[in-house]
Amino acid sequence: MATSERLERLKAAAVGDGDGAAGLGLALVAAAVAALVSLPLVVLFVRASNYGLGHLLELFTYSGSVTTLVNSLVLVFWVTLGCVLVGVPLAVLTVQTDLPGRRVWTIVAALPLVVPSYIGAFTFVSAFGPRGDLADALAPLGIERIPAIYGLHGTALVLILFTYPYVFLTTRAALLSFDGTLVEAARTLNHSRWEAFKRVTVPQILPGVTAGALLAALYALSDFGTPSIMRYQVFTQQIYVAQRSLGVPEGFPALLSLQLLGVVAVVLALESHVGGDTAAYISRGSRQPGRIELGTWKWPALAFCAAVAGLALAVPLGVLVLWLDQAGETIFTFEPEVAWNSVKVAVAAALAATLLALPVAGYSARSNSVVATVADRLTYVGYAVPGVVIGLALIFFSTEFVTSLYQTVPLLVFAYVVRFLPQAVGTVRSSVLQVDPKLTEAARTLGRSPTGAFREVTLPLIAPGVAAGAALVFLTTMKELPATLMLSPLGFETLVSYIWLVRGAGSYGAAAVPALVLVGVSALSMVVILAQERYNG
Amino acid sequence: MSDGFGRTRRRFLAATGAVTASGLAGCTGLLGGNGGGEKPALADFRGSGPLVSDRPAPGGTSIEDLPDLEGELNVYLGGGEGGRYENLLELFNRYYDGFEATWSVQPSSQLAKQIEQENANDTVRAADVFWSVDAGSLAYVADVGATTQLSSEARSPVPDAFKTDQWVGVAGRARAIPYNTEQFAESDVPDDVATFATDDRFSGAMGWAPTYGAFHSFVTAMRLQRGEETTRQWLEDMVTQGVARYDNEFLVSESVANGEIGAGFANHYYAIRVLARRDDAPIELAFTKNDAGALVNVSGASVLGGSDRQDLADLFVRHLLSAEAQEFIATRGFAYPMISEVEPVGPLPTIDELEPPEIDLQELSNVQPTLEMLRDVGILS
Repeated sequence: MATSERLERLKAAAVGDGDGAAGLGLALVAAAVAALVSLPLVVLFVRASNYGLGHLLELFTYSGSVTTLVNSLVLVFWVTLGCVLVGVPLAVLTVQTDLPGRRVWTIVAALPLVVPSYIGAFTFVSAFGPRGDLADALAPLGIERIPAIYGLHGTALVLILFTYPYVFLTTRAALLSFDGTLVEAARTLNHSRWEAFKRVTVPQILPGVTAGALLAALYALSDFGTPSIMRYQVFTQQIYVAQRSLGVPEGFPALLSLQLLGVVAVVLALESHVGGDTAAYISRGSRQPGRIELGTWKWPALAFCAAVAGLALAVPLGVLVLWLDQAGETIFTFEPEVAWNSVKVAVAAALAATLLALPVAGYSARSNSVVATVADRLTYVGYAVPGVVIGLALIFFSTEFVTSLYQTVPLLVFAYVVRFLPQAVGTVRSSVLQVDPKLTEAARTLGRSPTGAFREVTLPLIAPGVAAGAALVFLTTMKELPATLMLSPLGFETLVSYIWLVRGAGSYGAAAVPALVLVGVSALSMVVILAQERYNG
Repeated sequence: MSDGFGRTRRRFLAATGAVTASGLAGCTGLLGGNGGGEKPALADFRGSGPLVSDRPAPGGTSIEDLPDLEGELNVYLGGGEGGRYENLLELFNRYYDGFEATWSVQPSSQLAKQIEQENANDTVRAADVFWSVDAGSLAYVADVGATTQLSSEARSPVPDAFKTDQWVGVAGRARAIPYNTEQFAESDVPDDVATFATDDRFSGAMGWAPTYGAFHSFVTAMRLQRGEETTRQWLEDMVTQGVARYDNEFLVSESVANGEIGAGFANHYYAIRVLARRDDAPIELAFTKNDAGALVNVSGASVLGGSDRQDLADLFVRHLLSAEAQEFIATRGFAYPMISEVEPVGPLPTIDELEPPEIDLQELSNVQPTLEMLRDVGILS
């Protein structure tokens, strides 16, 4: 493929002969970061093997275990497919067509990412569940029953609605950065618009789509709150129950987690098979092709955008606002300090993740070595390990080895970094790929050291991408539930732990304010993420 | 039970709902800082409204008669009646200038495992007191040697069934059958759990929360009382009945009130909390006799052995059994008080009117076979 050849040349230029020593240094740092974030995995493995890996087979003999495995896989499949079917058309519509109000739709389409999926799930149950608000509204019309929201379709629907923005954002980034003249060239070669799309656009944006689909798939696999609320049996629930039930051998949840990691490995393998080389992000020009005129297709397109926005934004926000004035809910008092705690740990996690992502992403963007690939891939594993498993591993690690870290904010932040580092790595890497290595080369010939060249040339160019990555980590940290519950120090309350507490007590009204604050603060980070696009576009 | 009693109880439940709403509103004002510097009085510990104001002053040892709490105390709080235990801790913090309790809320069983982990390593100590919502977790923590013996002053107010020398009950929680009064008459509800699994009337009509800790205790009690085979059969029959599955027992009770299901298995106070949200909800409680369906479990406290503030922790446990705290537990959490000088609210059957199975609560920590069975029958996984 021409692109990969071009990439090879670029990489060769980047890690040219003169940079051997710097390349080695970078490799060491990247490897160290990968080792650091793999730590919980190692702990997990040690635990499981202490328990006895021989029990691994036993896992399959439990009736229902196979069902759980199949359920998890089916869910991942539908969520991934759904995210692509929603995210890609939205990205194409907002980038390449004359859709009215494209700017507004871009923001609207990205915003559902700020709504935690478990908040989405319980607002959906409230709105569409039996005897929910929708059923109440329809009752006077003589409609007795609405289709049940629980089960696979409810779980998949909620997860699609709140994770498709991953696909939307990555596809959009790919569309914005690819060379529009290629499409025009194809058109001049007498390809139809559809054929040009298929033969030129699709291969160009495929890595972007798969990168987003991977994030969505891993999210679906590791989410606990949504399937639990929507009553669909998946892996995470089995682990969660085993982890907090008395009498279950300590190693058992770890063993279950390893089984889940096996599934993760398969997903990662599939992704690298489909996704090919992310290098297709590389683009020298950013000239846009002529906008596609929608004509009468404008109306169905607008209806599609509005339907997605209605379900993914209007429903949860509407329900939360309805809850605001529910009576009899006032046992809890909400203190702003709780929101401030959330912001503090999320900022710390974003900074730490960005700092660690730079060497990994920089190295994997510029090197084809095994170390680069392995380091890059290892960072993804933490993302796929459910928060509850990371929590478990880190409690064990801190009580057993580094007791001074036990029940401290730094350990909590470390858990977030392990979970969300790949988001920073992904964004930083694609930014680095877009920087012409010749610029760094020029700086080097002008006598700059490798780090000097990085600081003065590369960093300013990738800064918007880095900021977007940091914002994404901030956003997901704000929403993270299980690790937060397990690792928060005594008396340290955050928005999610507060929401989970009052929701468990059935005080939906008390959950409304913190949930709205959470969504509001998270929405601010979306500004940074979208601003990065303007730079790209 | 006569129809007359049922009606009374229904009125009571409805009234309690209304009372809760207004009573809690008052509580927020207090906790919100309006009454900031003032020392809480009995009225602050007690719920308010007509039902509660008729109550006699609680007997037992008043906080005023106990030595002052002084210093800092860390509490592992397992669950906690939907935030009410936190409110009680806040009241203690306000009551004493020189006392500050800090707490971490997580499921009891999770905290029990965490304490076990901490106990395995001598250098890690996070909490002084473990306040758990079930006896199983308390026994578990005591069994791994993580607790220390309570003083006789702390143990003496509580009946033998609800204490050991390592932990004492603070509030009673009875298993119950919340049922929808539009779907079932009181006489339709059997007084044994076995019937729910076999009678056609309950086909497609029941709900439970199989991942919930209290449910595990319930099934464990059934195993201990009726044996493995009978319990397994009961679970399988319930699945055949098409029992609906919920996340927690509040949702079970709420779905009963919604008419989504006709009846369910849940702890007694969830139905009252549902009524706190909607006082006209068609929900009422029934109790079975001499079987797991009427198990009385306790929320209780123990002092952790690694704490270097054991005297303060012990004194704190005595405060939980004070007249004021027990009145709080009865009138705000709707749990059964653990000291005889404080009555449960309204016409809830008193704790000795219930007919729980004869089971050593300590044995409820033996959950592993229960989980295996649940998994085997396909309920958990």
